[in-house]
Amino acid sequence: MCLFLVSFTNGQERFLTKKGMISFFSETPIENIEAQNNQVLSIVDATSGKMAIAILMKSFMFKKALMQEHFNENYVESDKYPKATFKGDIIDFETITTSERSIAIKGDLTIHGKTKEITIKALTKKTDAVLEMTGDFFINLTDFDVKIPSIVKNNISEKIKVSFRFQHKPYKK
Amino acid sequence: MKKITIYILIIGLLSIFIGYTMYHKPHINVAKKPVDINITANTLLANFSSDETKANTKYLDKIIAVKGMVTNVEFNGEKVAISLQTKEDFGSVVCYLVKDEVKKSAAIKEGQEVILKGICTGFLMDVILVKCVIMNSK
Repeated sequence: MCLFLVSFTNGQERFLTKKGMISFFSETPIENIEAQNNQVLSIVDATSGKMAIAILMKSFMFKKALMQEHFNENYVESDKYPKATFKGDIIDFETITTSERSIAIKGDLTIHGKTKEITIKALTKKTDAVLEMTGDFFINLTDFDVKIPSIVKNNISEKIKVSFRFQHKPYKK
Repeated sequence: MKKITIYILIIGLLSIFIGYTMYHKPHINVAKKPVDINITANTLLANFSSDETKANTKYLDKIIAVKGMVTNVEFNGEKVAISLQTKEDFGSVVCYLVKDEVKKSAAIKEGQEVILKGICTGFLMDVILVKCVIMNSK
């Protein structure tokens, strides 16, 4: 993460949040599972349009402690892979204004040690005080080698809905 | 015959009870758990900065009582995050309080030395502790 920051040193304008929100939602007829993480780190370099996000898996909070335990120990193996990351480019960053519009972001999402290129859309707006991005997208657990045991196959959806909300503030080193 | 039926019933009910209790098992109550590691904010961050993999093995999921000077108390809706000073310029230890501690945190001021107890979830730009409670404040 720090190396990535160093490569930004020539950028004029950087935006950062350490309190980004990412939640995910799995829906099946048997049960719904959701968790929320409020300590997501996200950095945007306005000059290059580059975006870097780092997520601590153990910061995902579930209502049920047992689910949180299974998530960490069995599914994402957070002791082995404590972080998920996203490194990408915001397409047409210069077109972001004070009125909300949909912007595309393309980059590499790494979860559970596996990387996949994704393109997502975010509703984005920018003022002097904040660069706000919200949206949601779907991921397939199989893309990231997250294995669901057959016993709970009907409790967890293969397709997970991921929602995010970042309110970046201007960042001066 | 009847005795066996009763035993089976008892075992069956016990299993259901255990299953139900486990399914609804409560989240860790940090305040009630003993401290795994006592450390200063500076040492904790330094250990993560110098060797993150080793620090992860040592600190992740542990109940840590971290001592340091408050540089920032941030209220974010109903969430409170207290940042502790370290020798590094742009890295600190950030502790997110449990909901029940939010009222107490109003008394915490910048520059104050505190000991916060929480669970370590890892290191991004700062070391992050969640479910924190305030142990003492001078």
